[in-house]
Amino acid sequence: MDLVQQPLGDAADLTHQEIASGPTVLRMMLGSQLRALREAAGISPDEAGYEIRGSRSKISRLEHGRVGFKERDVSDLLTLYGVTDERQRSHMLLLAQQANSQGWWAKYDDILPDWFETYVGLEQATSLIRTYELQFVPGLFQTEAYARAVTLLGHRSAPAEEIERRVSLRLKRQELLAGPGPRVWAVIDESALRRPLGGRDIMRAQLRHLLEVGLLPHVTLQVMPFDRGGHSAAGGSFSLLRFAEADLPDIVYIEQLTGALYLGKPEEVDHYREVMNNLSTEAETPADSERLLKKIIRAT
Amino acid sequence: MTTDAAADQTDGSPEFDTSVAHVARVYNYWLGGTDNFAADRAAAEQAMAAYPDIAASARSNRALLRRAVGHLAGEAGIRQFLDIGTGIPSANNTHEVAQAVAPDARIVYVDNDPVVLAHARTLLKSSQDGATDYLDADLRTADQILAGAAETLDFSQPVAIMLMAILQHISDEDDPYAIVGRLLSAVPAGSYLALSHPARDIEPEKMAAMAERLNQMMAEKVTFRAEGEVARFFDGLELLEPGLVNAPNWRPGSAEEARRPAALWVGVARKP
Repeated sequence: MDLVQQPLGDAADLTHQEIASGPTVLRMMLGSQLRALREAAGISPDEAGYEIRGSRSKISRLEHGRVGFKERDVSDLLTLYGVTDERQRSHMLLLAQQANSQGWWAKYDDILPDWFETYVGLEQATSLIRTYELQFVPGLFQTEAYARAVTLLGHRSAPAEEIERRVSLRLKRQELLAGPGPRVWAVIDESALRRPLGGRDIMRAQLRHLLEVGLLPHVTLQVMPFDRGGHSAAGGSFSLLRFAEADLPDIVYIEQLTGALYLGKPEEVDHYREVMNNLSTEAETPADSERLLKKIIRAT
Repeated sequence: MTTDAAADQTDGSPEFDTSVAHVARVYNYWLGGTDNFAADRAAAEQAMAAYPDIAASARSNRALLRRAVGHLAGEAGIRQFLDIGTGIPSANNTHEVAQAVAPDARIVYVDNDPVVLAHARTLLKSSQDGATDYLDADLRTADQILAGAAETLDFSQPVAIMLMAILQHISDEDDPYAIVGRLLSAVPAGSYLALSHPARDIEPEKMAAMAERLNQMMAEKVTFRAEGEVARFFDGLELLEPGLVNAPNWRPGSAEEARRPAALWVGVARKP
């Protein structure tokens, strides 16, 4: 990642982890640190907002990591919160600087809606991605031809060039799998494997590709056969993201047709984790999933 | 879905109850993991209030596992491991440590919790040369464990039996000594037992208070044991240096490891 090559001052170095996290997660980290400092100082969001020439909602957006940071704002907030330690101040200002830089995905701005840009940013910083897919083969495991077929479903009238850019973004995301990135643990519903998107040949090649991906040391595939999983899966596809940074909470990601939900409250995440655990225990084991996948390939 | 299929599904799905604290998830919380639920976090916090060093002690246990497996796969030349009470995977799992030294090492993980096993299958993938397998079994059914493990391990060759922080869940009525004896009887001379056990006689008041709280909040009860009681597990075996000691004192890898507080009796012993 480009960020790694940027020179850093030695007074308040960012950890390697902080640099590798990418801007999206850096914003979340900085935001949650600022919130903790504000709460410790007993200052209300309104007061903090006033200090930086804004409102309570500006503070809320900053603390949730939804927007970039102005260094002047961060500096003023730190002063308001009574943070005078120079090392701590310069570390947080450095975080703010890094958080404003762009990820590799920025050049896909034209086709990347904000709600999905956030996901791509988060994905870069995960240590574990657990995903349940009902409809499609998960994006990280798609072949180019299958990805094109899926993209065409959603963008029938888009020019060919745009389709290709969308496909190329999806393939670019798959570089995560080359390591040393996150572990990916996917439960895929049998229907996603039986539905021949793009036709039988493309689907057969996609299923063979899945077999190969499943052999990667940090990838695990489980198939949920038709006769199982009904009640756990009632909510549809979702992903559970865990980050390498210990102080970042897990996040649930649910994609919709025109947007996405990011859930981070402990009780929400607990609920989805419970469902994910149920799905993982109900689905075929990885070894049996491989056998089932081979059977489906023969039938495709 | 037909009615029959729905019925099958209800019967066959290994549901788990997140409203009661579960030992593997409580332990995961102490290690800084996120595979836990509100009830687990509450129990873990309660335990920490009674014995504030429990999180450090849990980390000591993980560090000890790494050192013990490193020694067994290295100097001792062991290539087969039976790790009972896997827990939710963490850093430096048995097969990772063993296969880093000996890529052909074969490891069987055993746990009685379906969620732990689902995690284990996923996160504990073997090297190409070695093998890992996962058994859904309870330590109280040693014969079932041995039969299942025999599909992956060759019991005519030495095996390291790992019982790391698990025997405290076997009450005296379930005769933990008989269970360990049964496991050891199945392995040949030159095999090893690596065992850690929460101590009743290190920080005794705090440990007693913690045990009481855990037993109120967790489905699986705990029995902490004293040095002499833990020593009995090694009857008939040759304890390696430095003998039965608190976890940080078992061949610490660094001054930091040696200083980390813990209340865990630990020993690694060879079957003569």
